[in-house]
Amino acid sequence: MKESLMDVLCCPMDKSELELEVDERADDEEVLAGTLVCSECGERYPIEDGIPNLLPPDMRDDVPA
Amino acid sequence: MDRSRERTRDVYDRIAAHFSSTREYPWPEVESFLADREGALGLDVGCGNGRHAEELVDACDRVVGVDASRGLLETAEERATERAYEASVAFVQGDASRLPVSTDSVDLAVYVATLHHLPDRERRVRSLDELGRVLSPDGAALVSAWSTAHDTFEAASADDDVGFDTTVDWTLPGGETVPRFYHVYSPAEFERDLAGSALTVEEPFQSSGNCYSIVRSERKTS
Repeated sequence: MKESLMDVLCCPMDKSELELEVDERADDEEVLAGTLVCSECGERYPIEDGIPNLLPPDMRDDVPA
Repeated sequence: MDRSRERTRDVYDRIAAHFSSTREYPWPEVESFLADREGALGLDVGCGNGRHAEELVDACDRVVGVDASRGLLETAEERATERAYEASVAFVQGDASRLPVSTDSVDLAVYVATLHHLPDRERRVRSLDELGRVLSPDGAALVSAWSTAHDTFEAASADDDVGFDTTVDWTLPGGETVPRFYHVYSPAEFERDLAGSALTVEEPFQSSGNCYSIVRSERKTS
């Protein structure tokens, strides 16, 4: 995920700003792993392999195939 | 009939590679919509393999593609890298009825062949409200859904007042079929749902068995 994306992403639930916690970077701009945290409700959205998962919590829980 | 969005997401995760390989080219209706438009931020809701995000890259400084299926987003990332437009595009997993995109931020959006996968009218209209929310005051979007006019639906016609719910199988190369939920729209119902949302219907039309409309954000239209 490009860090510059932060200004257009928001929490899908309450549309508040997100804060970025970085676990792993590819370079200055690209975040490979981390978490987006809603500044209002505190919901945590994972970034895995560079793709942020901003599905609402009720769709994000992994359902066995 | 399992109409849940989780189920639809899982179906597309499962068929992502084959589905994507059959979705090589952008729709001419999308190319026409983008031909004389440009903007800072483009958005593709239900981006699938990103074939329309690729078109948006030519019209916008940067583009965000949103899809519920991670499998499809991975094919979209691959396509962007292979075709060297990955610097201008970002892919995000999200739900069309609860978009993770900032209010008033989007200049050009495409929301094609996705609305019909949402399970009920409330969710579909909410997704149209969300599109209205993210569009900037001068922003425009192209929305499409499968229509009762399509040849597949012999019992239905373009003149029907409302559409219907159904499942449409996807056939994998081995012959296995995977059912996908659809709400097939009648053109009249499509326009009603658009008008009943936070969108202004600017230019409705029908093409290739789909209903379309160019729309703007209602609350921001002067």
